[in-house]
Amino acid sequence: MIHFNDVTKVYNGNVKAIENMNFNVEDGELVIMLGPSGCGKTTLLRMVNQLESITDGDIMLNGKSVKQSNKIEMRRNIGYVIQSNGLFPNMNIEDNAMIVPNLLGWDRKKMRDRFNTLMELVGLNPDQYRKRFPHELSGGQQQRVGVARALAADPPVMLMDEPFGALDPIIRTHLQEEFLQIQKELKKTILFVSHDIDEAVKMADKIALLKGGQMMQFAEPAKMLNKPANSFVAEFVGQDRVLKSMSLYTVKDLATALTLKPVSESLEAQNINENLSLRVAISKLLNQEADQLIVENNNGTNKGSITLDLIEQFLHREIKESV
Amino acid sequence: MERTNKIIALIIKLVFWGLLVAFFVWAFTNDMFSTIVEQPDTFFRLLGEHVTIVLLSGAAAVLLAVPLGIFVTRPKFRKSEWLIIGIANLGQTVPSLAVLALAMGFLGIGISAAIVALFVYSLLPIIQNTIAGIDSVDDDMIDAAKGMGLTNSQILWKIELPNALTSIIAGVRTALVINIGTAALAYLVGAGGLGVWIFTGIRLFDNAFLMSGAVPVTLLAILIDYLFKWLQFALVPKGLRLARKAQNS
Repeated sequence: MIHFNDVTKVYNGNVKAIENMNFNVEDGELVIMLGPSGCGKTTLLRMVNQLESITDGDIMLNGKSVKQSNKIEMRRNIGYVIQSNGLFPNMNIEDNAMIVPNLLGWDRKKMRDRFNTLMELVGLNPDQYRKRFPHELSGGQQQRVGVARALAADPPVMLMDEPFGALDPIIRTHLQEEFLQIQKELKKTILFVSHDIDEAVKMADKIALLKGGQMMQFAEPAKMLNKPANSFVAEFVGQDRVLKSMSLYTVKDLATALTLKPVSESLEAQNINENLSLRVAISKLLNQEADQLIVENNNGTNKGSITLDLIEQFLHREIKESV
Repeated sequence: MERTNKIIALIIKLVFWGLLVAFFVWAFTNDMFSTIVEQPDTFFRLLGEHVTIVLLSGAAAVLLAVPLGIFVTRPKFRKSEWLIIGIANLGQTVPSLAVLALAMGFLGIGISAAIVALFVYSLLPIIQNTIAGIDSVDDDMIDAAKGMGLTNSQILWKIELPNALTSIIAGVRTALVINIGTAALAYLVGAGGLGVWIFTGIRLFDNAFLMSGAVPVTLLAILIDYLFKWLQFALVPKGLRLARKAQNS
């Protein structure tokens, strides 16, 4: 859907901000651009909707060059979410969320229905918030409206610039999870900027790790964690990268890959739902809450047990496989 | 703390209104407004001239200064800001009496000289407040608007101007209130206005003339001030008004 072809950005004739960037964001994929400040991730994002010009190369959006597209028309077909939400204080929540449909000339009834649907989707009561103003909402609520606004005209592509960066950790985690649910349902093509490796591991289908305007690695989160391409990537993802990668797998993944052990009578046991992440499982085992975890599915059926040995075995296997 | 502040504010208000009432009691018992009572036709003519000078010069200033302010805040023309502000500054720095004299030099004696002089004099506060208002609009807001596909003129009309309106109206209000006072000098270029009675009063040491001219000018200034407060309330989008209120409390 979004193809970066040799994209280069040069400032003032000699400062190279982006150098020969090549990668693709496929349909329905969420790609997170990650990197330290000044690595060019935001510039790259803003080049897609032409808020920044492209010095050399091109970006193809659905097969069409963004350089040659009509900027205004193109932007109306791209959802855009920024860190500081950018809601307009002079408009109420409904007018804010419906600004693009309004520009596109939708009729009132259609806009009202769309507003109701979107607000339900982002977890806000439409009638309670319709006539409120941005300053009356909390940061988290404002950002939900920001997401709703970006989704308003149902654009196939979304650009998100650290959308959850300004929120406190608890609210951020909530919004990340809710947004993943929304994305599961809507399957938008999303390019997302973040500086938080945990956020990237949790949300991305693929991560593009940038440094100084160059691509360090472009890979699935598991691969990046298990097999960093170079020392910069290894350092950026952190020395605890193996632990981080644990949150990418569920207990079910392990159960599918390996045979679970029979439940041992002599070991202390606890139950764990198969949809929980291995990170939770490992934490439970290390916490001495139990020496084995009895895996059960949503109906409570016992499927066998896991121990630290088994997780270790699974890890070795996964790391080897992703090599 | 807040309670004591409220009490102090109340006391000051009471003292102010008390003095005002005392002044009017004094003025009426001493027949200070006798000139108005004796020559109502002249009074309304002078008042009409005064208001005409202020409103015409003010309206012309708004029509030129607001677009100019918008013009210099467009990124393409940003470089012209120093020039336009410089010219407007010049109009403001020269004493009002000198501006009047210069205008009379070109336009001769009469109301047009006064209108032109006050027009020049009002430009700066309105331009400056327009620029300040537009500049105060959050960059992220503009960025979001651009990113969603608003055209430049849509950004101006839907985002920048509504958010700058409080400041623009404040500029017009300042300019007009100053002009009501300055218009009293219009008498000097033969443009009439309530200055006629004020200057007559000064020359003749006649308090009745003086007060009959000066008090209506003051009341006019206060009236315009309130009118614009109301205008601000009526025109500025509700969300901004509420946001400001929430911020102040």
